[in-house]
Amino acid sequence: MIEVRALTKTYGGQRAVNELSFTAPAGKVTGFLGPNGAGKTTTFRCLLGLVAPTSGAALIDGRAYRDLASPRHHVGAVLESTGFHPARIGRNHLRVIARAAGFDAPRIDPLLELVGLQSASDRRVGGYSLGMRQRLAIAAAMLGDPEVLVLDEPANGLDPEGVSWIRRLMRIWADEGRTVVVSSHLLAEVAQAVDRVVIIRDGTLVTEADIADLTADRVTVRVDRTDAMLDALQAAGADHELLADGAISIAARDTAEIGGIAARAGVTVTELSRRGTAETLEAMYLAVTEAGGQ
Amino acid sequence: MIDLVAAEGLKLRTTRLLLGMIPAAVAISLAGVAGTVLVHGGGDRAVLESAKGVRQVLSATGAGAILVLVVGIIISAGEYRYGTADDTFLTTPRRHQVLAAKLAVGSGLGLAVGVVTSLASIGIAAVLYSTEGATFPLDDAEVWLTLAGTLVYTALFAMLGVALGSLVRNQVLAVTGALAWFAVVEHALVNLAPDVGRWLPAAAGQAIIRTPLDGLLSPLAGTALLATYAVAIALSGIRVAATRDA
Repeated sequence: MIEVRALTKTYGGQRAVNELSFTAPAGKVTGFLGPNGAGKTTTFRCLLGLVAPTSGAALIDGRAYRDLASPRHHVGAVLESTGFHPARIGRNHLRVIARAAGFDAPRIDPLLELVGLQSASDRRVGGYSLGMRQRLAIAAAMLGDPEVLVLDEPANGLDPEGVSWIRRLMRIWADEGRTVVVSSHLLAEVAQAVDRVVIIRDGTLVTEADIADLTADRVTVRVDRTDAMLDALQAAGADHELLADGAISIAARDTAEIGGIAARAGVTVTELSRRGTAETLEAMYLAVTEAGGQ
Repeated sequence: MIDLVAAEGLKLRTTRLLLGMIPAAVAISLAGVAGTVLVHGGGDRAVLESAKGVRQVLSATGAGAILVLVVGIIISAGEYRYGTADDTFLTTPRRHQVLAAKLAVGSGLGLAVGVVTSLASIGIAAVLYSTEGATFPLDDAEVWLTLAGTLVYTALFAMLGVALGSLVRNQVLAVTGALAWFAVVEHALVNLAPDVGRWLPAAAGQAIIRTPLDGLLSPLAGTALLATYAVAIALSGIRVAATRDA
């Protein structure tokens, strides 16, 4: 499990991460979402001991990264900034890490096969594509068979097939009981794969929720006379919200009930639907990114 | 710690760095020795066979150490140049252990280069002495003391480089800075203030390899001084690595 507690990181007076708290439990894929520059990478670097927090803490199973007995065995990380020596062959990149981590008989060949690099493993990394480097970084993260996986924008540089491969991998890891945290600035990349979302903006937490909890029924309705419908919903005591595109979103009601309210108010319904989890999440994330862009 | 040293050795062996640098270091040393025999000797047997002459010739073996210093810098600063430092510190969050392993590998490399260049130097010196009509005094203690000094000198220069690269993470800056220091700055300082000069790193190095110059420290004092420089810079590097964000 990952626990971030009131984490703050200041760079030259600028707060990259501001009093951020969230948890990522074992057995779930937690999506760590936010626009570019929201503080996702800084949060990960604090969590992994690469950067010292200004205040607060980021803990892995209750411990700071540097206090883990065998970090590579405990945590696997794929960071955007991870570099490779261009003259080193892919296999040797993994051998170096395994040697330093003290893994006696690292399973390098099965890992190379798993990430689809077996035929490129004896080529210099300098000649690898972005996607191949990303695959090598994933193999490196998995060397220690870690219980916690931290992935910073892992889909970058991967083709659609690669992105779907990452999603499947994360699902398998979580189902095996591992803790998986994946960051992305694109909701669509991870939406299908996550069990839980943590959304941040400007280094601050916006939302932290399990996807299961987002499925609270919401009904979306479009009518010819929106004002009359809003009045009628108000009178009926329904928790509702006018969306930017002119539709009305209503909480925890079934569609028949809303149809009834519309009929009694004498308005014509042009569209009536129950909003699914994906749409709810998308609307939530859109609100965050749009607010960030203002 | 053994794993870390092995990993640092593996890092060094899995790039092409040594392929270019080691032959170049040996070549520079050999050129230095050959040049000294031909120029310094000037065809005069007595000069060549004198203790001072032997020291003059063999101390040129140390010339290759400057490239070993560069390798040392790349061992440390190269991790930042290629962005592999993240992976290194993820594996070993206690960063002083990484530097200790790098110092160990660097000094081992320096010793190895010292052995190779020393043997090659004796070979070429013996050949050139005979072509000059002189006899290379292989049984002279001067020969072996100077070559022992070369081993120490090369190992300490490698450690100095590793330490320097940990302090100055910009590899290009560290390499050019170090070369400028040893080629220009220290000479200028020595000329300005000879009393201070003997305490500077290059002069300490010259003392170790028993270069026949006036005013140098004893070889042992030079060793202690150069080692102190390396350790002091390494400690600053550890401080930087521990406090600065990677």
